[in-house]
Amino acid sequence: MILRKVLVAAWVLFLTMHAFGQPGTLTGTVNDEQGKTLIGASVTLSTAVSSQITDQKGVFTFTNLAAGSYTLRVTHVGYTEYTENIQFNGQQTELTIQLSSQSNILEGATVVGKSETQQVREQAIRAVVVDTRAVAEQPTTLAELMNRSPGIRIRQSGGLGNAVDVSINGFQGNAVQYFRDGIPLEYLGGGFGINNVPINLLERAEVYKGVVPVSLGGDALGGAVNLVTRKHIGSMLDISYEAASFNTHIANLSAYHHAENGWFAGIDAFYNYSDNDYNANVEVVNENANLEPATVRLFHNGYSHYFVEAYTGMGNAKWTDELRFSIAHYGIDRESQHPALMTSPYGALIMHNKGWIPSLRYRKAIGSFVVDQFVSYSNIDRSRVDTVRGTYNWYGDFTPSTGIGESPRPSLSDINFDNFISRTNVAYTISGSHKLDANVVYNHNRRIGSDPYGLRFAGTDIDILSKEAIYAKTITGISWESKWLNERLVNQLSAKFFRFKTRGINGFMANGTDLDDYTTSENNNWGIGNAMKYTLGDHHLLRASFELTSRLPRENELFGDNDTRAPNFDLEPERSFNLNLGYRYQASQLSAEIGAFYRKTKGMIMLIPVQPPFAQYQNLDSIRGYGVDIDVSYHIGELLQLNANATWQDNRMVDIADGLHKWIEGTRLRNTPYFFANVGAVANVNGVLASNDRLKPYVHWNFIREFYLNHIPRDAEPSGFLGLFGNAKIPVTNIVPNQHLLSAGFNYFLANQPVSLGFEVKNIADSKLYDYYKIQRPGRSFHVKINYHLTKKR
Amino acid sequence: MKKQFLRAATAIVTAAALFTSCTKDDPAPDQDSDTKYVLITLSDRVSGSKAGYISAFDEMPSGTISNATAGSLEGQGMGGWRTYGNHIYKMFRTADYATGIEKINVAKDGTVTAGQFISSKDPAEAAKYFGTGNFVIQDDNLGYYWDAAEPYKIQKFNPATMANTGSMDFEEKVKEMEISEVSFAAIGQKFLAIKNGKLFANLTYAKNTESQIGFFDDFYTDVYIAVIDLASGSWEKRIKIENTGSIAYINENHMYDFDDNGDLYIVTQGTHASGLGGKSKIARIKANEADVDKTWEMNFADFRAEDNGKFVNVFAKNGRLIVTLNTETLAGGPNGNINSADIWEFYSVDIDNPTQYNKIEGVPVGTNPGAAMLASEVDGKVFLRGSSINSGNGYYLYDFATNSAELAFSVNVGGAVSGFHKIEVQ
Repeated sequence: MILRKVLVAAWVLFLTMHAFGQPGTLTGTVNDEQGKTLIGASVTLSTAVSSQITDQKGVFTFTNLAAGSYTLRVTHVGYTEYTENIQFNGQQTELTIQLSSQSNILEGATVVGKSETQQVREQAIRAVVVDTRAVAEQPTTLAELMNRSPGIRIRQSGGLGNAVDVSINGFQGNAVQYFRDGIPLEYLGGGFGINNVPINLLERAEVYKGVVPVSLGGDALGGAVNLVTRKHIGSMLDISYEAASFNTHIANLSAYHHAENGWFAGIDAFYNYSDNDYNANVEVVNENANLEPATVRLFHNGYSHYFVEAYTGMGNAKWTDELRFSIAHYGIDRESQHPALMTSPYGALIMHNKGWIPSLRYRKAIGSFVVDQFVSYSNIDRSRVDTVRGTYNWYGDFTPSTGIGESPRPSLSDINFDNFISRTNVAYTISGSHKLDANVVYNHNRRIGSDPYGLRFAGTDIDILSKEAIYAKTITGISWESKWLNERLVNQLSAKFFRFKTRGINGFMANGTDLDDYTTSENNNWGIGNAMKYTLGDHHLLRASFELTSRLPRENELFGDNDTRAPNFDLEPERSFNLNLGYRYQASQLSAEIGAFYRKTKGMIMLIPVQPPFAQYQNLDSIRGYGVDIDVSYHIGELLQLNANATWQDNRMVDIADGLHKWIEGTRLRNTPYFFANVGAVANVNGVLASNDRLKPYVHWNFIREFYLNHIPRDAEPSGFLGLFGNAKIPVTNIVPNQHLLSAGFNYFLANQPVSLGFEVKNIADSKLYDYYKIQRPGRSFHVKINYHLTKKR
Repeated sequence: MKKQFLRAATAIVTAAALFTSCTKDDPAPDQDSDTKYVLITLSDRVSGSKAGYISAFDEMPSGTISNATAGSLEGQGMGGWRTYGNHIYKMFRTADYATGIEKINVAKDGTVTAGQFISSKDPAEAAKYFGTGNFVIQDDNLGYYWDAAEPYKIQKFNPATMANTGSMDFEEKVKEMEISEVSFAAIGQKFLAIKNGKLFANLTYAKNTESQIGFFDDFYTDVYIAVIDLASGSWEKRIKIENTGSIAYINENHMYDFDDNGDLYIVTQGTHASGLGGKSKIARIKANEADVDKTWEMNFADFRAEDNGKFVNVFAKNGRLIVTLNTETLAGGPNGNINSADIWEFYSVDIDNPTQYNKIEGVPVGTNPGAAMLASEVDGKVFLRGSSINSGNGYYLYDFATNSAELAFSVNVGGAVSGFHKIEVQ
């Protein structure tokens, strides 16, 4: 219902905006010297007429323009300003304008004229930038895009919408943190994340490998992902719809209007639906009670998710650069087809997650200070429903039984989370070469709920969920960015302070529990880091950084759940020392980057079986690792772009204390890929069916080297170069084999229309793909996407 | 000249043939032994799926060995095994830790592989309860097991072909004691033993409605065992071990053993709701009897009056029982000593004097054996499983005369030893 309303509103808005196309219109396209369209160029006619910004096709449009003489002025960062006097006669007129790149860059100065995305790529703290805007028309997901980036592996347990885990330099799980526009993503309760947000809503994704900038305010150990939402100027409407195999539908709507008085309003919404009913290889029981292989279509693997965020505010006013109030609402329904492994099917178990998230953001530059304040209170409800009396087989046949629930944990839970988050960022520019940045993030989380079938405190009928659990953490950071040697050297020194405090009842079944005895736990820690960039010349830069940092225990690790994870209020933060080195070459045709890392992580928080069937998070192992990744991009004129990257990492267990398991010392980190590579090609062909249309075919190949789910002795690892060839010297059963993923597609941009089409075949070879513990991923699938983008710039 | 050339050529070809036939990778069939010493180790500390290794050795291991070799089987469910003659079975599948019965195959070249697997008839239903795959073997072609999907039945299987061959339904008999307060009832979930043509199967009457249903949650204050006549497949009677709880457990360590004379000794873990002991005992059914021997029992309270522990295994031979007993008060929970600390010490008890516990010297005080049997009989000798966090990991040869043991071999790669057995490859 909500989706329908949103679509109706979008249609009305679309019609309204379409009506702007009247006679007396001056339109134009802005290109660079190679004929490539320039997005975001500023186009002005005179002070009496609102300026325009070129859209994704480099097009600007002035409507209802009176006849007369005008001075046309076109500017774009990195290009020489273009000025021309024109005589407009009131008839529809089309112009083509070419800008020349600035060549008079001063020796020793930071290269100017770069897009924000490019600037992020070249900052002192290395970030891999996934340019979602550049591929927004493709029927692809953010996870797939990130998987094509060096040093990053996104692992997804199943099809669309299933949980993802980002592995960065071997850090994964809670060691990697997620942000949206610099705000820790937890406040959105899962309604907006890597596994579900359409790329159309994003400007880019920044993946930090190593030092995490102070401005992100996180306690990540060595990896962070910042999702940067789409920047809007003027008024725009963006609609996309994707239909794909497995009854998959993804719709996206984004509308924005910015009035001349600074007032703005907009809405971002998306809807994801998939049956995820792809074929899977399972085993079924025969008449001898033996298991025999069968290929079945998954029947209870669906996913439905809507997200709507409406916002309004004021920009560019005397008292504010931006005051933005938004309210987001989402709902997720997810069917669960199987437990952690695909050993047996579920046919009715379902999980719900919904939330309301109002938030307020205020930004203002006052002299040399810039203040950026964000606050949000969110109310999230999660529920797991497993009440069916009986079980299903892999063919979907139901067998009734008397017990409640088809899983070992029957449930009808209703868990409520109150979450408050405040992020304060103050930047102070001391001079052109020195800048201070301070950041404070405070997060307060409260959990309370009920489950008539859930665990009870030992010897009572009191629901564990009925007792309040509170988690609060504060992360404070300060950084000093300084530029030296004519800005060839940029240095960023940072320090962070971490603190958390919890309050709850240690309700593990084996403990004698005083139900009025709340346990309080708290911990403080410091971190320090430094990142340095040295520009060798116009095309070369070197980077080096280190960070000693902490990762605070998460609330679920401290509190456990109402299931088989026992609480542990004695958990301490993980500590990690990370060292990163990098070199980047950037020229017009070729860009290349090589990065290397070293890490030593102590007291990793791991889930340990304690008393069957319970497990508990404990500080256990230490990891030492190093690795290297290489990323190369080459342009062959305007026609073809080739990309390739490879990542090799060697993360190993160290400091094994007990003699019984001393042999594990030096073995690889389990369940973690250690080599993966990508090769891709994107072509750009103009004038395919019409003079101004454009076709962008592309192909991507991804390879992941086999890896092991259990420890195998180091001397039994494949002996080939860097372990890249051959097989382990012992027959390993618990192995994720070599995997190849080949996908290809194209985008077609209609001539002079705000419409583009995308088509993609994923996993063309129908290869068997796995992520978590051999959970099978979808086979070959077909995707079609249509995009409509309309922009009216002031 | 031609002759010399021919001779030289012949010599070269012969030499080449000899060398190429002796490449390192070629198996040497004449060196393969029919006798294998098979070892299983548990390497997992963190996942709970009991990752580990099984290896086969041509000769009796000695010194310090690795259990992760070129012919090893790596996988899950490596906490222990049950053996029958030359055959080895696990209750958890190597590939994915599914519960059932898996046969382990050992080839003449020493390669160990996971063989056929008997699954629950309804794996989803079986996943709700522990115990599927608890089995006992009567002969080469007939065994019995429990499947949580049919809790009132005892399943039959062929241990050679590893196929289910039918079942015996005792629903009516089991339900005689299944009053409304009982949350779950079953036959054979935790204890199955065969003696003199009788199958002894525990009767579960559980209180729990959530996790670990049927474990440490006995509804009744006595442990009940059904006696089934195997010839007719009929229910014979119900017997009981009084004033205790928690007979045996649900993994490969079946917690009972037969003495040389055929007497059956059965472990009960006691009555504590979290499995921390109290009233734990070992009961006996004499060789020619089909009821619990009221005149004999072994109580943990006789070892330590505080009764703060339990029996977790038993090995019977020559009128003597060998057990491991906790040296400290058992503590559960995440930081408890029950599973993670070196507190389990070897003792022997002469059957004629069940209150006298004699400490066995020479074996390290170790961790809870869990699914592992505490001893193995190989080549007519008894080897004790000694596995501690820092004081040793291997098998120790037991000397009945001195009631002591000395290290036979230790294992440095592959994890905690959890089973040792000798087979003749079939």
